[in-house]
Amino acid sequence: MANLGTLVALLVLPFAVGDYWTYQLGLYYLYAMVAVGLGLCWGQAGFLPLGQAMFFGISAYLSAILLKAMPGSYLIYLLLPLAALASGVLALLIGLMVFRRDGGSGPFFSLITLALSMLAFQIASNWNSVTGGFNGLAGIPSLPGIDDFRANYYLAAVALVVVLTLATWLYRAPLGVLWRAIAQNERRVALFGFNPHRYKAIAFAVSGFFAGLAGALYAPQQGLVSPQVVGFAFSAELLVWTAVGGRGRLYGPVLGTLLVGSMTGEMRDGVPYWEVIMAGFFMLVVLVFPQGVIGLFTPVTDRLRRSFDRARQRARIEAPARAEVAAQEPLTIEAARVSASGINILNDLTVAFPPKGVACVIGPNGAGKTSTFNLITGELPASAGSVKVGALDITNQAPYQVARLGFGRKLQAPSVFPELSIGDNLAIALWSNGARPLDLLRLSLRRWSSPIIAELAMRYAFLGKEESPASDLSHGERQILELAMALAVQPRILLLDEPCAGLSADETSRAVDVIRWAAERLGNAVIIIEHDMALVRRIADRVMVLHNGALLAEGSVADIQANPAVQAVYVGGQK
Amino acid sequence: MDPLIITQILNILFGVTTLAMIALGLAITFGMLGVLNLAHGEFVMMGAFCALVVDRAGAPFLLAVPLALLVCGGVGLVVELLLIRPLYRRPFDTLVATWGLSLLLRKLAEAGFGLGFNSVAVPLAGTTTLFGTDYPTYRLVLIVICIAIIAALFAWYGTSRAGLKIKAMVGNPDLARALGMPVKRLATTTFVVGSCLAGLAGVMVAPLVPVHPYLGLDYVIKSFFVLVVGGLGSVLGVVAGTGVIGGLDSVMSALFGSTQAYFTVLVVAILFLWLKPRGLFAHG
Repeated sequence: MANLGTLVALLVLPFAVGDYWTYQLGLYYLYAMVAVGLGLCWGQAGFLPLGQAMFFGISAYLSAILLKAMPGSYLIYLLLPLAALASGVLALLIGLMVFRRDGGSGPFFSLITLALSMLAFQIASNWNSVTGGFNGLAGIPSLPGIDDFRANYYLAAVALVVVLTLATWLYRAPLGVLWRAIAQNERRVALFGFNPHRYKAIAFAVSGFFAGLAGALYAPQQGLVSPQVVGFAFSAELLVWTAVGGRGRLYGPVLGTLLVGSMTGEMRDGVPYWEVIMAGFFMLVVLVFPQGVIGLFTPVTDRLRRSFDRARQRARIEAPARAEVAAQEPLTIEAARVSASGINILNDLTVAFPPKGVACVIGPNGAGKTSTFNLITGELPASAGSVKVGALDITNQAPYQVARLGFGRKLQAPSVFPELSIGDNLAIALWSNGARPLDLLRLSLRRWSSPIIAELAMRYAFLGKEESPASDLSHGERQILELAMALAVQPRILLLDEPCAGLSADETSRAVDVIRWAAERLGNAVIIIEHDMALVRRIADRVMVLHNGALLAEGSVADIQANPAVQAVYVGGQK
Repeated sequence: MDPLIITQILNILFGVTTLAMIALGLAITFGMLGVLNLAHGEFVMMGAFCALVVDRAGAPFLLAVPLALLVCGGVGLVVELLLIRPLYRRPFDTLVATWGLSLLLRKLAEAGFGLGFNSVAVPLAGTTTLFGTDYPTYRLVLIVICIAIIAALFAWYGTSRAGLKIKAMVGNPDLARALGMPVKRLATTTFVVGSCLAGLAGVMVAPLVPVHPYLGLDYVIKSFFVLVVGGLGSVLGVVAGTGVIGGLDSVMSALFGSTQAYFTVLVVAILFLWLKPRGLFAHG
């Protein structure tokens, strides 16, 4: 809707602003396309590329070379999207290679993109035979059929709206929700079975494609491509525009580019100290107004959208049921050893968890309880030993791979996605077992629900308030929300790390009922780390006692309470 | 030995020690405080302009040192209070805000001094004969001073209480505060020291390079690479990182030319950032 309005506005704008601005804006629309991609990476997926100009420039050079090789040929309209795609593929490869390494997507990723952009500048300025060296490629013919600045303007306007439409779709699709979830809590996303590195690489690829599309149109529009288009200075300008406009919203980067970018082009020579003022303004925005200029409007537009959405309440769709697994199989850990910085956390731990029922893991602090969970879900590497489900060896698999096998986990400190709505939080859990990769582009998945969630919402009314953000919830409610998310996955094996920590006696009792109910309804294995013996007595079918990273005792609650070795550990009689 | 080779070796030594000097200030702000200060190069630039001002006024060159300490320390103090402090533990915002700061400082220098290249008269003009070759005295003195400062910091950080306190503050700021350490003041002091070192480095290189508002850009990027290669949190890392980056730069420049050298440095830096982001000495 908004994009249609934008298209109409952009198409009639030349009649209002005159020829000079029509020419200028045509260029800044292309820049805005790059900025939208930057906003997608930075504002949605939570990583900051500093070399976005590289993808713009590479595609611009490709486009220039193609145009010069085949002037006037309409075939070029097929080839230009390929030039853009080349940039997208390059970004995808960089993302896939970098995100999975130690440096991840933090500042080191930013520095890599910065260095790559500088490298591209070096190559562009020195590879005379291909890029024309420092002076660049001049005399690039215009696209056939696009013969004046006005036609170029309309082409750029349409391209910008295409990019905005694609981005709108991605922001609304489950993929966009996952990007925002990754930005808030990457670990949690991985524990739901999504490979966060891959989804970030996809975000980077999309941004590279947007930049590439802009670059491909830049060459024929300007008729000149010089090394500056791949360089760091241009990347940095894009960063400023995106930040000032507002990185968190689709239209923020566009606004920033059109306001700051085009005004700087005008004022640079006329107003003394213009750039000093802009730099100061930019710092102010980062410091006190991180939402950017668009943040001034969002309260109004959000309210409008909400009332619009309420007017057409949409029905929930039932998520596909999990494919039935043949039979529940036991989880076994064999002589597992885990160490970190020279300290052995798990010492040849051997334990088998039954395929059904509730098992409680107890033990003094530092016994290795949470580490056992981290070992199972692939977050702590084992230096020896094995973890198996039935006959399937899952030792040292990545967390997202383990999660896909049907493991659900609730972390010790409640870790929901605070800036997502309660509905989206629950939906992510549903996607984790029901959605194929391509499904993540379908908007209808946002409305998925399941009988389990409906039943949970009967017990906890706040789970029904799908639109309100999870950050509004109290600590106890977040614990329940995360428990609900873990249950919504319908895991074969559910790992709960102190699920009732921080809950009142009354809330604990309700939570225990829910866990019992879920274990019976899902017919799965539930493994709970718990300190509260009263709770263990109520809920456990079987108890495992860990001490110093190894299994000390195992049995029914009564067995354990009668076991002298366990008593000694808890009373502190022996080490 | 061939005098030409000795000159080259001294050039490499000079390149490495001055780079280490610039990287040291960054190592303090980035390595200790975790602040990715993209405006660090602009502090070097301000130091160089201090030398220019002193030179133009006809005052003795050494006066540039207190002036640079005053200017860079003062600006560093204001920047830490207004810009850095609110953004601790928000690395992307720090990155972006300090980029804005670097823009501001560059444009201010441009407004005050223009875009042109300026030169500062070399103090201690003349050469000293060393191993049978003549080498500029000023450069030799700089090499010695840089090594002395690095050694002093090495000793101070490793042994003094302040070094221990900074380590504690970086390791766990909340606990350090609970133990009654003036965490905020300590962070401010650390940042100001880093800025002063940058200013000092700027004064040192001013007579040897064209002084202009964009002087800092090259240095800051190279210094970041030094820290990445060497790893954060130790003076030894800075020395090793400078050895790799500065050495590679100087050797490749001497053999193939400056473009190829720059290219090599970029590729090596990217490989380190990608494959070994915690530096040469990181295990596992």
